[in-house]
Amino acid sequence: MKPLDALFKPRSVAVVGASRGETSTGVPKLGTAAMRNLLEHGFRGAVHPVNPKESELFGRRCVARVSDIEGHVDVALLVVPAEACMEALRDCAAKGVRAAIVMSSGFAEAGRVQLQDELLALARGSGMRIAGPNTAGFVDFHHPFAATISMVGQMQPFVAGGVAFITQSGALGGSMIGRGMEQGVGFSHWVTTGNQADLTAADYLDHLVDDPHARVFALFLESVSDPPRFLAACQRAALAGKPVLVYKSGASAVGAATSASHTGALAGSHAVFGALCRQYGLIQVDDLAELLPLARTFAWLGSRLDLRQQRARRVGVVSASGGICGVAADECDLAGLQVPELPPARQATIRRLVPEFAAVRNPVDVTGQIRSSATGYQDTVREVLADPAIDAGMLLVTMAAEPRASFYGREISALADAVEKPLVVTWAGPLSLAAQGHPMLGAARVPVFESVRSAARALRAVDDFGAWQRRLGDSPATAGARK
Amino acid sequence: MSRRPPHLLRALDEFEAKQLLATYGVPVVAEARVVGVDAAVDAAREIGYPVVLKGCGEAFAHKTELGLVELDLRNETALREAAARLEARMQMRTGDAHPCGRLLVQRMARGQREFLAGFSRDPVYGPVVTFGLGGMLAEVLAEVALRLAPLSQADAYEMLGQTRAAALLGPVRGWPAVDTGVLVRVLLALSRLALERQDIAAVDINPLVVEGAQPLAVDALVLIDDR
Repeated sequence: MKPLDALFKPRSVAVVGASRGETSTGVPKLGTAAMRNLLEHGFRGAVHPVNPKESELFGRRCVARVSDIEGHVDVALLVVPAEACMEALRDCAAKGVRAAIVMSSGFAEAGRVQLQDELLALARGSGMRIAGPNTAGFVDFHHPFAATISMVGQMQPFVAGGVAFITQSGALGGSMIGRGMEQGVGFSHWVTTGNQADLTAADYLDHLVDDPHARVFALFLESVSDPPRFLAACQRAALAGKPVLVYKSGASAVGAATSASHTGALAGSHAVFGALCRQYGLIQVDDLAELLPLARTFAWLGSRLDLRQQRARRVGVVSASGGICGVAADECDLAGLQVPELPPARQATIRRLVPEFAAVRNPVDVTGQIRSSATGYQDTVREVLADPAIDAGMLLVTMAAEPRASFYGREISALADAVEKPLVVTWAGPLSLAAQGHPMLGAARVPVFESVRSAARALRAVDDFGAWQRRLGDSPATAGARK
Repeated sequence: MSRRPPHLLRALDEFEAKQLLATYGVPVVAEARVVGVDAAVDAAREIGYPVVLKGCGEAFAHKTELGLVELDLRNETALREAAARLEARMQMRTGDAHPCGRLLVQRMARGQREFLAGFSRDPVYGPVVTFGLGGMLAEVLAEVALRLAPLSQADAYEMLGQTRAAALLGPVRGWPAVDTGVLVRVLLALSRLALERQDIAAVDINPLVVEGAQPLAVDALVLIDDR
């Protein structure tokens, strides 16, 4: 048992502040949301509602305080007002509760530093670990254990997978994880760190590095509260071969000020953070909307390929549109990738597969006529990716209505299984006309993007990760740590 | 530079700063700290002309702005005249009739390529080592690579290649390639210094002049935090 196992994989949970029904504005009460999410997302352990005003909630006996619960309690969820938290926490500690997830707000983020200090002192004194306060989501998708008051709990079912998402902001985190699930991102964990009084992002990362379900880490940070511990955890993730993607706000002075007042923590200098990412092999994402799609890229490509060994610097581009081929060449260049000309022999082979006016140097423009040959498209892509001068493939689909869209969906899915190099897709055409074809790619775990730039940056990130993993061996900081 | 209020920090004089760096293996320009013009002349004879003469003292951290740097002095006459000018300016600066008269006599390093290297302490992340384009325009150009201490050798090599300073490291404009091994040793020395000497808030080596292929610390600032 690792110290935080009880927190992520509890067998019994108390919900302090459990309730029923909605507020006067028709929104579920927090205590209702917490109970509902726990029960509706498959938690298999015991659930004990705690509320002195109720005798029964969600078909379970409701007790007045945690000490009234019969039997052991691993984790307590707190959804009571901040003023009531200390008493409830003391009760939990006396009961021997292993960890508390304090969802209540009104601590350091609201200027009540002393109240938060008391909470921390209780954690230190009792040995009970505390997540939050001011945390909105704490989910282990595989256990499963969904402790959250976020409305994202209304999404059914949760999509389990390999991405562990750690975020400081609850509201934004909830919206991101919801969108992520819509984009097909499967999650292993979702932790909103809140005010990080006791447990910090570094603690969660360090713990989850050893969880086999967590294969890719996506972090959204406003500050780094304990840099040495954080960096040590990042280093452990690197040694485990698990990519750590990070978006950090606070690049602008205004952004930094907003972040600082938001969590009560000091946002560090952004330039130094960028340096830290280079130095410790973190993949810094500078567009928040790219964070989870990029995590999905690592998870999906990683399900077929060993990304620790991977290169993606030299890209083979294939499309039926000359226009987007030019865009792809530009975007690859911008992302620091190359689109090398294929060797003459390879070009000659491809020439036999495509219409005579097609471009075959790379980018390869198969032209719209490719549909006249049933196997031409797939064979062309295979030829491009078979060349030793090519590390990765970028396939661009433009205007494709059904049944053409399904043709692409089928062919590209088959290619992803057949080729042993990273393959990403940009689908630029209208999705409403590709209702069968486009979803085939997600189902086949083929990373598909709407923007060429995002696809190019994804390949760059894959290449950076591979380069970092290869470098790990010769860094004195890690030499010897890796066998 | 350090984010702490500057009044809490004390600068080592330039000579002491470079002595400290030299003990960590940073190549520094040949120089002597002397009192009085005659001693300066003796020192210059030993170092070899042309020399640079600087006013030296904790009060004179910004020598160029104070007019306390006399460059390219080719003989004893030029040195004596320059020394007289410096003494006058130092007296003006301190209001003292005999401002201890410390002078720094330095071999005139010749090199067109100027880099900067140093470290400062970030309030969140701790010591941060810096390398980039140096000289008078360093702050304007802001072409610097940063890394947290401790640095690995690979980190140091990466820093050299990260910014546009990299374009000046190779053989360029008829100059030989810079001895990057020395630059890496300088960066690793700064990393070590940052970790071993917690009382040092910041170090600036600027310029780190490349003479032929060899980097050489020509000016350095070491800020001590006495708290």
